[in-house]
Amino acid sequence: MADNQNTKFEAKQGTVLGWLDKRYPLVSTWNEHVGEYYAPKNFNFWYFFGSLALLVLVNQFVTGIWLTMSYKPSAAEAFNSVEYIMRDVEWGWLIRYMHSTGASAFFIVIYLHMMRGLLYGSYKEPRELVWLIGMMLFLVLMAEAFMGYLLPWGQMSYWGAQVIISLFGAIPLIGPDLALWVRGDFIISDATLNRFFALHVIALPLVLLILVFMHIVALHRVGSNNPDGIEIKKVKNEQGLPLDGIPFHPYYSVKDSMGAVFFAILFAFVVFYWPEGGGFFIEPPNFEPANPLKTPEHIAPVWYFTPFYAVLRAVPDKFLGVVAMGAAIMFLFAMPWLDRCKVKSIRYRGLSFKLLLAMFVISFIILGYLGTQPATPTLTVLAQIFTTTYFLFFLILPYTSAREKTKPVPERVK
Amino acid sequence: MKNVFLLISFLILSVSSVAQAAGGPAIELEKANNNLRDQDSLQRGAILFSNYCMACHSVKYMRYNRIARDIGWSDDEVVAKMAYNQAKVVDDVQTRMLEGVAMDVLGTEPPDLSLMARLKGPDYIYTFLRAYHLDENGNWDNSALKGTSMPNVLEGMQRHYAPEDYEQAARDITNFLEYAGEPGKLDRFDLGWKVIAFLLVLLLLTYLLKREYWRDIKH
Amino acid sequence: MSIKNNNDSSVNLQRRRILTGATGVVGAAGATFLAVPFVSSWQPSEKAKAAGAPVNADISKLQPGQMLTVAWRGKPVWIVRRTPDMLANLPNMDGELRDPASNESDQPEYCKNPTRAVKDEFLVVVGVCTHLGCAPLYRPAIGSPDVGDDWQGGFFCPCHGSRFDLAGRVFKAVPAPTNLEIPPYRFVSDSIVRIGEGPTEGGTA
Repeated sequence: MADNQNTKFEAKQGTVLGWLDKRYPLVSTWNEHVGEYYAPKNFNFWYFFGSLALLVLVNQFVTGIWLTMSYKPSAAEAFNSVEYIMRDVEWGWLIRYMHSTGASAFFIVIYLHMMRGLLYGSYKEPRELVWLIGMMLFLVLMAEAFMGYLLPWGQMSYWGAQVIISLFGAIPLIGPDLALWVRGDFIISDATLNRFFALHVIALPLVLLILVFMHIVALHRVGSNNPDGIEIKKVKNEQGLPLDGIPFHPYYSVKDSMGAVFFAILFAFVVFYWPEGGGFFIEPPNFEPANPLKTPEHIAPVWYFTPFYAVLRAVPDKFLGVVAMGAAIMFLFAMPWLDRCKVKSIRYRGLSFKLLLAMFVISFIILGYLGTQPATPTLTVLAQIFTTTYFLFFLILPYTSAREKTKPVPERVK
Repeated sequence: MKNVFLLISFLILSVSSVAQAAGGPAIELEKANNNLRDQDSLQRGAILFSNYCMACHSVKYMRYNRIARDIGWSDDEVVAKMAYNQAKVVDDVQTRMLEGVAMDVLGTEPPDLSLMARLKGPDYIYTFLRAYHLDENGNWDNSALKGTSMPNVLEGMQRHYAPEDYEQAARDITNFLEYAGEPGKLDRFDLGWKVIAFLLVLLLLTYLLKREYWRDIKH
Repeated sequence: MSIKNNNDSSVNLQRRRILTGATGVVGAAGATFLAVPFVSSWQPSEKAKAAGAPVNADISKLQPGQMLTVAWRGKPVWIVRRTPDMLANLPNMDGELRDPASNESDQPEYCKNPTRAVKDEFLVVVGVCTHLGCAPLYRPAIGSPDVGDDWQGGFFCPCHGSRFDLAGRVFKAVPAPTNLEIPPYRFVSDSIVRIGEGPTEGGTA
C-alpha cells in the first residue's frame, strides 16, 4: 500500500518534519503502521486486548522504573524497602499498587487476547508467526512475573520461588545442579534475589520489548484477522485498498482510546479500592518477611500460574508433572498445525470445534481454581480429570478439525 | 458477546468462592466493625497500644510524627501520650522491651505489628484480643491461637470493665493496627472516586469522538 | 472502500474538530495528573525528612574561639563561639568582601545583620563552600601560615582557595560566589541551639 492518496500523511519540503523525514523514515513508518495500516472494519470487543496489553506493558515499565528508584534488591533490605515505598515515598503506595495490580491486569488482558486468537483462528495461515511470537511473549511474561514476585521478599515470594525452582530439580541427572545454579546458593537467598532483580528489571523487559516489536511487525506484514476470519486483502478497490479495511488511524486509534479509558476505570477501581484483589493480586502471607525456616500453611502461586500449577500437581510423578506442565504450554505453540480446519472463525466452524474449545476453556478455568486450593484427594482427582480434558483438546483437534462440517464463509465482511 | 459475559461471571464466581475457601484460623472470627475515620477511636487505640502492647511489640514501620499527623495530634502530644516523652517525634515506634529479653522471658520474639492487620485481617486481631479464656488447669489460653506465649494483657479490662467498654478497647486497638498496616488507606479511598469520576468524563468524550469518526464507516 | 469521502456533506468537520480538541485537552489534563505522583516521588521521602529533622547542639562547653561541628541533613554545621576581638574586627573586613551586607547570600531574615547571627557571640553556619561544595577549614588565628600573613581569621577552602571571614562572608577575588549559608536555628535555652528550626516556627523548618 505504498502509492495512494486519501489519508496518507506527507512531509513538506522546508519544514522540520521534511528535514527529519529525509534522514529518517518517519512518515513512511507512520503511514505503513498507523495512518495507512488497513484493519478490518468489523473488530469487536475481543480486539481491544491487543492495544490494552501494550498499555499495561507501558504501565509496568514506567511504574517499574520508578519502583527501582526506592527498592533495595537485598535479602536484608528488600521487605523494608517495599514498606518504605508504601509509607515514606511520596505517592509510593500508588506507584506500587499500579505495578502489583498491573501484573494481574497484564495476565487478564493477555489471556483474553489469546482467547480471541482461539475464537477467530488468528493463529492460522498466514499468521502462524504472529502466534508463535505471541506465545514466546507469554512465556517470557510468565518468567518476568515469576521473578518480579520474589522481589517483595515476603513469605509467599520466598516459598513460591522455592517451589518453582525445585521443579528444575526434577529434571533427571542435571536437575539438582541446575536448581542450585539458578539459586546461586543452597537455599533461595540474597544471591537469588539479586539475580532475579537484574533479570526482572533489565534482561526480560528488553526481551519483551523486542518480542512486542516483532509481534507487531509480523502482524502488519500479514494484516489483522477479524471475527469473520475473512482475509480483507482478497477484495480490493481500484487503488489496491482492501474494501473491508479502514485505516487504523483515526478509526481504531479513537476506538482503542475509548477502550483504554474504559480499562483505566476498572484498573483505577482495583488500585484504589481493591489492591489486594481478595488475596489474589497481593497475597496476605506476603505481608510477613521471608523466613527460610517457616513455611506458610498453604502455598499457592499467584492466580495466573495456577492452571499450570494444577496440571503439575495432578501428575503423581515429580518429573512427569514438570513435563506435563511444560506440555500444557507447549501444545499452545503448536495450535497453527494442530488445527487443520481451513475456516478460521468460530462463527463458521462446526459443532465439534465449539465443543472442544468450550471444554478447553472450562478445563483451564477449573484448573486455575484447583491450583489455588490445597491438594485434597478429591480435588486431586478433579485436577486429574480436567488435566486430561485440557490435553484432550489438543489431541482430538487434529482429527476432528480435518473432518469438520463448516458453514460457508462469506466473501465480504458484513 | 453472550459467551464473554458468561466467561467473566464464571471467573468472578470462581474468584469469590476461592476467597472464602482460603485458609483461616480454627474459630469463627468476630467482626471488628472498626472505623478508620473515627479519629477518637484511633487516638484511644494508639494510647491503649502504647500502654498494653508496646512493652513487647513494635510498629516499627510507623513514625510518631506520621501517627500524630494522621490521627489528629500535635508532635508534642504524640510523644507525650505514646512514649512518655522518651522518644523523638521522628523516631520509629519501637518496643520498650530491650533486645534479647523476650527470648529469655517468653522464649519467642514478639512480632512487629505494623503489618499484622494486613497479614491476618482486623477481624482476626479483634477476635484474638478477646479470645482469652481459662483452660481446665486455670491457665490463660487463646482459642484463636492455641498455646500462644502472649499473656492476656487486657485481663484487667475483661474482669472489671463493662463488656461494651472491653469490646470497644479491643476495637480501638484493632482500629489503630489497621491504620498502621496502611497509613495512607484513607488517602487512597478519598482519591479513588475522583480519579474514576475524571475518567468517566474522558470515557464519555472518547465515546463521542469514536462515534463521530465511525459515522464514516458504511456497514 | 467502506469509508465515506471527507467532502461528503454528512461529515460534520466542525463537530469533529471540537470533539478532538476536547478529548485532547481533557486527556492532556489527565496525563498531567498522572505525572504528579511520578514527579513528586522524587521529593525527599518521610525517612529523609525524619533524618533531616532539627538537631540540638549543646554549646555550654564551647570555649571562646572554639568551633563545634554538628551534622544536620547530612551536612556539617559549624558553631563558632566568637571572641569580642573577633567580633570587633568584622566591620574592618567589609572593604575586602564581595557581599559584606549579605544581600546575595542565603540566610534566614533574622541573621541578615552585620554579625550574621541571632546572638553575636555564636556564629552558626553550614560548613559547605558555596563554590563547589568542599568543606572549608577553620583558621581562626591571625596570620595562619597556610593562608597568609595578612589573614585576619576565618575559613579557608583548600579545594580552590576560597576565603571567608569569621561571619562566613566571602572575600573578593576568590571562586566562591556567595557567603556561607546560614541554616535556620534558634536558641532553645542558653546552652542548647536547635538547628533546622527558626525562632518563630514551632514545627520543622
